[in-house]
Amino acid sequence: MSVELLANGLNDEVVIDLSAYDSLEEMIIQLEKSLVVILKYGKESQVCIDTGIKRLTERQLRELENVVKEKGLRLGELRNSENNVKGDSSRETIINPSSQFVEGAETVMICRHLRSGQKFFTRGNIVILGDINPGAEIIAGGNILVMGALRGMAHAGAMGNEESVIAAFRLNPTQLRIANHITRAPDGERVEVNSPELARIRAGKVVIEKLKI
Amino acid sequence: MMNSRVLVVTSGKGGVGKTTTTANLGTALAMMDKKVVLIDTDIGLRNLDVVMGLENRIVFDIVDVVNGNCKLKQALIRDKRFDGLCLLPAAQTKEKTAVTPHQMRNLTNELRGEYDYIVVDCPAGIEQGFKNAIAGADSAIVVATPEVSSVRDADRIIGLLEAAGLTDSRLIINRIRPKMVKKGDMMDINDIMDILSIELLGVVPEDECIVISTNRGEPAVLGNVSRAGEAYRRIARRILGEEVPMYSLDESSNLMTRFKKMLKLAR
Repeated sequence: MSVELLANGLNDEVVIDLSAYDSLEEMIIQLEKSLVVILKYGKESQVCIDTGIKRLTERQLRELENVVKEKGLRLGELRNSENNVKGDSSRETIINPSSQFVEGAETVMICRHLRSGQKFFTRGNIVILGDINPGAEIIAGGNILVMGALRGMAHAGAMGNEESVIAAFRLNPTQLRIANHITRAPDGERVEVNSPELARIRAGKVVIEKLKI
Repeated sequence: MMNSRVLVVTSGKGGVGKTTTTANLGTALAMMDKKVVLIDTDIGLRNLDVVMGLENRIVFDIVDVVNGNCKLKQALIRDKRFDGLCLLPAAQTKEKTAVTPHQMRNLTNELRGEYDYIVVDCPAGIEQGFKNAIAGADSAIVVATPEVSSVRDADRIIGLLEAAGLTDSRLIINRIRPKMVKKGDMMDINDIMDILSIELLGVVPEDECIVISTNRGEPAVLGNVSRAGEAYRRIARRILGEEVPMYSLDESSNLMTRFKKMLKLAR
């Protein structure tokens, strides 16, 4: 898997979105699943947890923190979409204050631009109403759909799903990764395409095609 | 109580014109009868005093103020030209860590009552100096030049500013060369705005006068010859809330467009 390749780039901070789960038990189960993936990516990771609009008690927070510590990871901060519960607010990675969960599908919606140095990770699909700028990273267990310009790095099917696709209104990434395949635009070629495109794996290779609906 | 605004001028990348922008905007605002204080937070590499031509008047600096070695009033240097303009210089012999974000916040709050605009000159980079500079700010002015590296850094900075709660950053595109843009050799304004997608505060053309005025310690806005100075004056008016048309980059057709506009008006 591509995890070894990624390990270097991913030792900063990872945000886990738990805003869709209501009970603490569900959140812990989900958190543990996510942590397994993160551990594959490199042990240095600092983990942040987004609990959505729920309010947690001090005890519940501590339980979540313990789960993270047991796995040998550091808990960076616990945040919920309204305000930070814990940790200092000057932190550089803000992750989707407007994230929403579509019921029935594990899809996260991000209604903002992802700028250089910002990173988003989720186990499910991601829909972005905004741009992914160069230097930003977006990693999904499922598919990635960018309703804007994708200029940074996108990794779909990060857990190994080769069926995942990356679609963008303007597909112009620094690098594309699907499952364990890594591609980039060929050197010296600059093609300007002014229509939506889709990247997927065909016959063991990442191919980019026009988005036909 | 005055309605003070704390503006931080930042960029991420070095050498794009943060200090020049701070000096010129500060002077331009003072020319319009505003009370302005400039704070240099680039501790260890101070420049703003040189650009303002006030280097030889420094007695105390920002580190002395936060450490309580002197009163804030004693460290403020009054400008040679405008009574309403002051400079709080950085220390040259200390490091960035000599000041904390908390101390900066207190400092700006102390100045709020007495000045209309507090303009903070941010050092390059995203480390402690940057965190200090943005600590007390109400809004940010991001300076970028039309180069990929500068735009990339500006993008990162805008992200960091958003994370710190400064969501209404505005952009100044500095050192643009109209001729190169025309030939397609330089990023144009639209290319940059596409990526950064924040409000454009102004565009400043490349201008040799800046080098001369920096060396003399006289901000370019003071003279009437500099194109960059004119651009900065317009930006200052925009900061005050006036609607000012963007400085036309097209030197040759400048007269033509004005002529056309007049015709349109006549019709």
